[in-house]
Amino acid sequence: MASDQATLQGMIDYDIDRRKRFVDFKPEDASRIVAIKGLVERHADEHAAAFFNYLSQFEEAVMLFRNPDMLREAKRLKHEHLLAMVSGEYGKTYIEQRVLLGALYSRAGLDSRVFLGAFHQLMQSIGRKIADMFASDAQAAFQHFASVNKIGFMDIGIIVDVLIAERERTIRTQEKAILELSTPALQIRDRLLMLPIIGLLDSLRAKQLTDSLLHSIRAARAKVVVMDITGVAAVDSKVANHLIQTVTAARLMGTQVIVTGLSSEVAQSLVALGVDLSKINTVGDLQGGIEEAERALGYKVVTVSEPAAQRARL
Amino acid sequence: MPVPILKQGGILIASIQTAVTDQDLVQLQDDLADKVGRFRSRGVVIDVGALDVMDSFATRTLRNLAQALKMRGATTVIAGIQPDVAFAMVELGLTLDGILTALDLEEGLGMLTMPPQEDGHSVG
Repeated sequence: MASDQATLQGMIDYDIDRRKRFVDFKPEDASRIVAIKGLVERHADEHAAAFFNYLSQFEEAVMLFRNPDMLREAKRLKHEHLLAMVSGEYGKTYIEQRVLLGALYSRAGLDSRVFLGAFHQLMQSIGRKIADMFASDAQAAFQHFASVNKIGFMDIGIIVDVLIAERERTIRTQEKAILELSTPALQIRDRLLMLPIIGLLDSLRAKQLTDSLLHSIRAARAKVVVMDITGVAAVDSKVANHLIQTVTAARLMGTQVIVTGLSSEVAQSLVALGVDLSKINTVGDLQGGIEEAERALGYKVVTVSEPAAQRARL
Repeated sequence: MPVPILKQGGILIASIQTAVTDQDLVQLQDDLADKVGRFRSRGVVIDVGALDVMDSFATRTLRNLAQALKMRGATTVIAGIQPDVAFAMVELGLTLDGILTALDLEEGLGMLTMPPQEDGHSVG
């Protein structure tokens, strides 16, 4: 989990003073919290139980409860959290501890709404004890609870940051995986490449695709490239422009590109959009494209069995 | 440094090096137009494989050059545009329309000595 921490470092704001300012945390809040420190410490287990008991009733949190190691760790961190929460001292370590807990929630796939609900239960549990303590002075009870609440909201801010950061990181990892998977340029004959394009073609991918194609052309000394777009979900004017750019760039390197796999719907919609594909050599299907490419390269495909059979008859 | 022009049979070869100035390119255009007439060349290959940048001036000069040489009776092939250069050119809208391009010098010479026939051109 050390690497997890390291990558999260860059994504989370560790400036405690900024965070304190956001929740309007003042020195008098710290002194009020110290006044109820003993109270919260004494009932820490009860407060933690309020949190976990509430969580356990939701199936959104089921992953946490199915994994005993994770649950034990979460309970330990939560206990630590409660003690740290009322310590009156909040520094970088405080944020680091919260990030650790947030990362654990994220691994457990905890829904942020469920987390917020449970956190509210925990605060209520603390609030009830404070109300008991200041039974005669409602004003003081409210003030003390408000001070703890500020820290509570700061904690929520950190945890939510971690949950969002984790999600963003997942998205980024997946994007990278898709990019790496997406564009193989396959050599199918000497100096003939084939480029099957599948999925959505956005600017980023089109750029990456053109780049990898040009380098493959260089490496394979390709004279003809057959680009098959049967698997491209939607071809609009933007995608068509990307294709034109790719074809033009390949032409600058002296390579002919044949585009195949334009379905009848795609062809009609491109015509309706007024996209000019006259610069592109298009052939109906992949087979036709490869045949055309073979012709351009001077290949002639003959079946072996038939002439042999004819010869035998003679 | 002016671009050297080599004569190989009926073909002229100009190999542009990395440190080429706008002035050198204009000079190349003059030299080639002159030599094509003098040597009665029918083809010119301009090798730009050493260039890692092709700006709009260079592209326009090459296009003008090709059109001028056409009028003097020679076909021009631009050979060896690098992948990254090709990509950048397309993004800038410099597409060299109507001008022959080849993968490298060898390929460019092949195109001029063995022009494409009706049934396509031969491999290699």
